[in-house]
Amino acid sequence: MTSNTAGYFASFIMLMWVAVQGCPEYAIADDSGAGGKNSSLPALAFGQSVDGISDEDLPYVYTQWENYTVEDGLPNDHLFCVKATPDVIWIGSENGLARLDKKSGKIQSWNEEDGLPWRAITSIDVDPKTGDVWLGLFGGGLARFSGGRFEHFHQLNSGLVNDVVYGVAVENNHIWCATTAGASRYDVITGKWDIYTEKNAPMEEIWNYNVTYAPSVNKVFLAVWGSGCLEFDVATEKWKDYIDPDKEMEIDLYRDDGIIHVITTAASFADGALWVSAYFGCCRYDGRHWRGFYAHETGLPSDFTNFLKARSANEAWFCTDKGAGVVADYATDTYVAYYRNSDNSGGVAKIYRQGRLLREVPLEVSIAHNFMIGVDFDGDDVWLATAHGLSHGIGKGYYPGVKRAPQQPQTVAAASSTSADSK
Amino acid sequence: MIRRRRKRVNPRLLFLLLICGLGRTSLALDGDSVHPVYVGVKVCAQCHDGDAMGNQCSIWARSRHADAYAALSKPEARLIAKLSGVPVLPQQSPLCLGCHATAAEAEPWERDPSFAIQDGVQCEHCHGPGSEYADAAVMMNRELAMKRGLRMPAMEECQACHAPKGSHDAVLKGDRLDMAAAWEQIQHPTPENAELVKLSFPPLPSSAKEPAFVGAGSCAECHADPTKGDHFGAWRRTAHADAFAVLATARAREIAAKMGVSGDPRTKLECLKCHTSVYHRPASHVLGTASVYEGVSCEACHGPGSQHAETCSRPRSTEKNGLLKVDAPACSSCHENAHGKPFQLPANLAEASHPIQAREHEEAGPQYKTPINLAVSPDGKELYAACEASKSVVVVDIAALRKVAEIGVGGQPHDVAFSPDGKTAFVSNRLDDTVSIIDTQSRTVTATIPVGDEPHGLVVDKQGAFLYVLNTLSEDISVIDVGKRTEVKRLSAGRGPWSAAISRDGQWIACTNVLSHFVPFRTPSRSEVTLIDATRGMVTLRAMVPGANGLRGIAWHPSGDFALFTLNRHKNLVPMTRVVQGWTITNGLGVLWRDGHVDQVLLDEPGIAFPDPTDVVVTNDGKYALVTSAASNRVAVVAVDRLLNLLQSADEAERANVLPNHLGKAAEFVLQWIETPVCPRGITVAPGTDRAFVAASLDDRIAVIDLNSFQSVAVIDLGGPQVVTKERLGERVFHSAMNTFHRQFACSSCHPDGHVEGLTYDIEPDGIGVNPVDNRTLRGILDTAPFKWEGLNPSLSRQCGPRLAVFFTRIHPFTQEQLSALDYYICTIPSPPNRHRPLGAELTPAQRRGKEIFYRTTTNDGRLIPMENRCSTCHYPPLYTDRRIHDVGTKLPLDEHGLFDTPQLFNVYNSAPYLHNGIAETLEEIWTRFNPYDQHGVTNDMTKDQLNDLIEYLRTF
Repeated sequence: MTSNTAGYFASFIMLMWVAVQGCPEYAIADDSGAGGKNSSLPALAFGQSVDGISDEDLPYVYTQWENYTVEDGLPNDHLFCVKATPDVIWIGSENGLARLDKKSGKIQSWNEEDGLPWRAITSIDVDPKTGDVWLGLFGGGLARFSGGRFEHFHQLNSGLVNDVVYGVAVENNHIWCATTAGASRYDVITGKWDIYTEKNAPMEEIWNYNVTYAPSVNKVFLAVWGSGCLEFDVATEKWKDYIDPDKEMEIDLYRDDGIIHVITTAASFADGALWVSAYFGCCRYDGRHWRGFYAHETGLPSDFTNFLKARSANEAWFCTDKGAGVVADYATDTYVAYYRNSDNSGGVAKIYRQGRLLREVPLEVSIAHNFMIGVDFDGDDVWLATAHGLSHGIGKGYYPGVKRAPQQPQTVAAASSTSADSK
Repeated sequence: MIRRRRKRVNPRLLFLLLICGLGRTSLALDGDSVHPVYVGVKVCAQCHDGDAMGNQCSIWARSRHADAYAALSKPEARLIAKLSGVPVLPQQSPLCLGCHATAAEAEPWERDPSFAIQDGVQCEHCHGPGSEYADAAVMMNRELAMKRGLRMPAMEECQACHAPKGSHDAVLKGDRLDMAAAWEQIQHPTPENAELVKLSFPPLPSSAKEPAFVGAGSCAECHADPTKGDHFGAWRRTAHADAFAVLATARAREIAAKMGVSGDPRTKLECLKCHTSVYHRPASHVLGTASVYEGVSCEACHGPGSQHAETCSRPRSTEKNGLLKVDAPACSSCHENAHGKPFQLPANLAEASHPIQAREHEEAGPQYKTPINLAVSPDGKELYAACEASKSVVVVDIAALRKVAEIGVGGQPHDVAFSPDGKTAFVSNRLDDTVSIIDTQSRTVTATIPVGDEPHGLVVDKQGAFLYVLNTLSEDISVIDVGKRTEVKRLSAGRGPWSAAISRDGQWIACTNVLSHFVPFRTPSRSEVTLIDATRGMVTLRAMVPGANGLRGIAWHPSGDFALFTLNRHKNLVPMTRVVQGWTITNGLGVLWRDGHVDQVLLDEPGIAFPDPTDVVVTNDGKYALVTSAASNRVAVVAVDRLLNLLQSADEAERANVLPNHLGKAAEFVLQWIETPVCPRGITVAPGTDRAFVAASLDDRIAVIDLNSFQSVAVIDLGGPQVVTKERLGERVFHSAMNTFHRQFACSSCHPDGHVEGLTYDIEPDGIGVNPVDNRTLRGILDTAPFKWEGLNPSLSRQCGPRLAVFFTRIHPFTQEQLSALDYYICTIPSPPNRHRPLGAELTPAQRRGKEIFYRTTTNDGRLIPMENRCSTCHYPPLYTDRRIHDVGTKLPLDEHGLFDTPQLFNVYNSAPYLHNGIAETLEEIWTRFNPYDQHGVTNDMTKDQLNDLIEYLRTF
C-alpha cells in the first residue's frame, strides 16, 4: 500500500472516530434551501414543472422516527451497522452486538463477556437459509452467531486473509469478507477459504471496504479503496471492474463517464442498477449509463458517504457525515435529505428536485445523529445505524417514486408529533 | 530400541519422494518453467533395451516391479488392504497404488497417453517423470538429464515403500524383502560403451480388414477388477507377460541359434510371432498404447481389440465385437513343439484361463450384519435395522418377530428413519457420505442422495417434508427436501453431530454431538446439544453440557418438556492412575430442558459402571427411559419421575456441581438392568405397544424387551453367521468394558467409529498435566508403527497388551486370544476415502498450488530450505510419515522431551485437534501459532493465500 493509501485510510478512521465521539449536529441554517454548503443550489422557481412533473408530485417522506440508545439496551451508541430481518434487527456497535425484537421491542445485547469474540462489529449479514448471523469484526476477524453461540474465525485459526473486516456478505454457501488485505470467501460446506487480492482479482489496491451480494444476478460486488467497484460473477468466477475513467483522484473531471472515484465505500445492486458510494459523492449505473450524485447539485446532505443501500433501481439511501440522503425517485431526479437539529431531537426532511428545494418537512423527532454508517430496509420501514444510536423510520403509507399527494408532507408532519425521541 | 533422530534426514531420502511421482512439478529449462509428465515404460524401452543399453527394459520386465500393479488383484493384496484400513479395492486405493504403481498421485494430464498405470512400478517411479529428459540427446548427457528431472536413486531410498509394514508381514508371513539381494537383482547398469541403438524390429504383419491392437493396458481398464475375474492380473502373472523380455536372455539366444536364427531374437520375426501379440497376427495398425514389450498379451489370443473396446458395453459376442474364439489350435500354433517344452493342452489351457466370473467373496469370510440403529414403521408393523457390516437394512415383521427381508444400501449404514406416512425409509451410509431412500412397499432403494461427511443420525420432520441428516465429520446437518430429493441447506452443528430426535409436537429437533467443543488447553470438555426449530429449519439454541463429551443417543419425553441424552464425562486432565470421582470415564444421562438448561446425572454406581451409554428411548407413556450400555451388554430402566424428583429436590449448585459427578445417585432412579446380547446400541419402542427393541450389534440379533415386566422376552435373528471369527472377537473386545478397571469403559469409548474423541489426556502418573497427549485415530493404523506420540511402542500387541495393562485393564489384562483378536480388528477399522480428492481426480487450482508449496525447496525470497525442514522430508507418500520421531519445536514446559512421532496424514482434515498435545485446533494453527521458529517446516515466509493453498493440498491426503 502506498503512503497515500495509508493516509486516506487513516483519514477515514479518524473521521469515523471523530464522528462517533461527538460529531456536531447539522444546523438548518436558513429557509432558503439546503443551507450550509448547499446554499448555492440552483434557484428554480417553486412549483415549476420539471419534465412534466409537477412540484406537487412528491416522494414519500419518513416523518415517524424512533431512536434507540444505550438507555434502551444498546451496548453502545456508536453504531457501525444494522441488518433487518423479518423478526429482529441486528445492530453492530463499537462495543457489542445487539438484537432488537420487533414484536416486543426489547433489545438483547452481547459483549465480550458474553462470548462475543471481539468488541467492534463493522458489518452484519444473515444467512436467509440457516438464520446464522455473520459478523465482520473490526480487527477481530469474522464470527458466526448461531443458536446463541459465537464461532470465531480469524487469520490465525482459519484461512481468513486479515482480521480487519469491514464488510461481510452471505452468497449462497459462501461467506465473503471485505478486509484490509483483500477479500476472503469461505465455503461453509467444504471449509475452503479463497483469498482475492491483486494476484487474482483486478485490485490495484486490496483495501476492501464493503461487500454485498445480489441474488437476482448471482453476483458479488466489492467496494475497494483505490480500485473502485469490483463485480464477481458467481457462476463463471470472472471479475469485472468499475474504475474511474478519468483517473482523477480529486475531481470528477468528466461527469457521468463512469464511477466517480476509485475510492469507494459501498456498493449495492437492485433491480438492474448498481449504486456505488464514495467520499466524493455517489453514482449509479444501469448497465449502459452512469450517473453521479453530488450534494451541490442534488440537495443531498454531503458527498462524504460512508455507506449506501439501494431499495430499487429508483431509490437508494446514502449514509453521510451530515445526514441521511435519499435518491427518492431517480426518474424525476427527486431527493430527500434528513437532518437532526443540533440542540434537540427534532429535525427536518428536505425535498429536492434537480437541486431545487421543493418542501421542508419539520420533524418533531428526527434521526438519531447526522453521522451514520449503516442502513437497511425492513419492508416499508428503514433502519439507520448512527453515531448516536439506532434510528427507525416507520414507513406507514410508504410508496415508491413520487405521488401527487400534496397534502402528504404537511399532513404527515403534523402527525409526527406522536413520536418520542427515545423509546 | 527406538532410534531417535533429531532433525537428521538422509539427504537422499527426499530424492525418493520426488521419484514417487510427487516431486517438484516443474523444472526450469533454459529459463522457462516446464512441467514434466510421465511417459511410461514403453517410451523408455525404445532406447533402453538391446545389448547396447544393457537390456535394461527387459531386466525390468522380468522383475517383480513390473508385476506390482497386477499383484494388487491377488487375494493376499485384498487382505493386506483390509489390514491397512483400506475399505476399497487395492487398485482403487492411493495408499496401495503409491507403492504398486507409478505416478499414483499424478493428475490425469500429468500422464502421457503412452503411460499405463497397469505397468506397475516402472522406470519413472524411481527415475522421475521422463518427458523432459527422454530425448536421446538429453539422455546421453547425464548432467543435463539430471537437470531435466532424471533421478538416480540410492538403495536407502527404496525404504519408502519397502520398509516393513505390519499389514504385509501379517499376510505374507514374514516374507520380507532382502533389500541387498533385491537391489542386486534389479540392477540394470548402463554399459560403459552404451549406445542409443534402438532395436530394429521387422515390419509388422498388416491387414486392413482387421481391427487395431490397443494393448493390455487398455484391456485392463475393464478387465482388472478382481471381482470380475481379474483378467489382467491373471495374465500379468503368467509367463506370457514376460514372453518378449525373455528374448533378451542368453537362453533365448541359444534357442534361436538352434533354430538357425542369428542375431538378437527380439528383432527376429520368427521369434516375435510367438513372443509378442503385435507380431502374432495381422492388424490394421498398432495404437500407441500397445507395444512389443507387453509380450503375449490379451490380443495375441483374442485378436486385435480396437473393435471390442469400442463395443465392450454391448452383450458379449465374439463375432459382433471382434474377439476371436480361443481354443486348442490357437495355443498349439506356438506351443506345440516349442523348444522342447512339454505342453499339455487341457492342463496348460486351464492354467492360463481367466473365466468371467465374480470372485467377490472369495476371501471375504463370514459376512456379519452388525445392526446399529433401529426404527419402527409408523403403522407399527415393521422394524428396520441399519446393519453396518452387511451394507443393508434388515426388515423385521414385528408381529412374527422374524426377519422378512433385507435391502442393500450403501457403505456402513448407521441410522434409519421413516417418513410419517411410512411409505419411505431413509438410511444414512457413513462410509459413502450418502442417504439411501427406500420405497417401503417395493423394498427397493429408489434414490441415493449425497450429504456431508460420515452421516450418522437421521430424523424426518412431522410433515415429512424435510429430512435432517447429521454429518458427523463435516460437523453439520444436511436438510433434505424429501419431495425434490435434494439438499436445500446445511446447518452448522456442534462437533461430531451424532443422533437426532424430534419432539412429539414436531417443533423441536434435538441433536447430540459426540465431540466436545474446542476448549482452552487443559480445561474440561464442553459439549453441545443442538436444538433446531423444525418449523423454520433453523438452529435456535446450542445448549452446552459442561464437563461432558461422547453425547450419543437422545430421545424426547412425550410431554415435550425435556429430552434425555447419553453422555460420558472424561477425566482427561488428571493422570489415569487417580481413582477420584469415578476414575477415568464416568457414564451418565443428560436432561435437556426446553429453555436450554441442562442437567447431568450418572448411571454408574460405585464399582459398577455403566460403560458406553449409547442410546436412549422413552416409553410411550413417558414413565420410563431405557438406556443401552454397549460396553456391558445391559439396558438400564430409568424411572423418569424419580429422576425428575431427584433434580427438583436439588438446589442449583447441587445440580451443577454435585449430581454430574455423584456415583451414589443412580440407585435412586435406575429401577433395574436388563441383560442383552452382545453390544446393545440402538433402542426403540414400537408406538402404542409395550415392546422395546434393542440392536445387539455384535450378535446380529435384536432383543425384545417387555415393558411391563422389563424382561427380555425374545431375540430376533437377523441372519448373520453363527461363527465368531478372530476379527469379530476382536470387535467385541474393542467394544467391551469387561477387561477395564471397574469395567468402566471400552476401547470404543475413546475411539468412536475407530476414530478419535478429540481429547488430550494426561495418562502417565508423572504429575498433573505432565506430558499431555492428544488421542490419535485407529483408522489405517497398522502400517504406521511405531505407536504413541513418543514412538515408544513398536507393535499394536504391546500397545494394547502390556501398555494398556498399566492403566486400563490392570489386573484383568486381555488374554492372548483376546489381544490377538483385538489387534487384528483394530487393523481392519476402515479409513474412509478422501473427501477432497477422489482417486485419479485432477487437483483443484488451489490444491495444485498447495502441492508446489508442499514440495518446495526454496522460500519465497529464494533461500534454500534445509532438507530436514521441508514438508515432504518427513511426510512423504504414500503413508505421509517417515515413522520416526522429530523435534518440531512443539515442546511445552510440561513436556519432558520434544521428540514426537511423525503422524500419518490420511484424511488429516477430520482429525482435529493437532500436534502431540492437541493444542492446535485447526490445521492453520499448526503454522500460524505453533511454528514460530520454522522448526515444523519453513512456513513463516508464506503469505496467507499460500498457507491456504498448502492446507487445501494436505486435505487431499
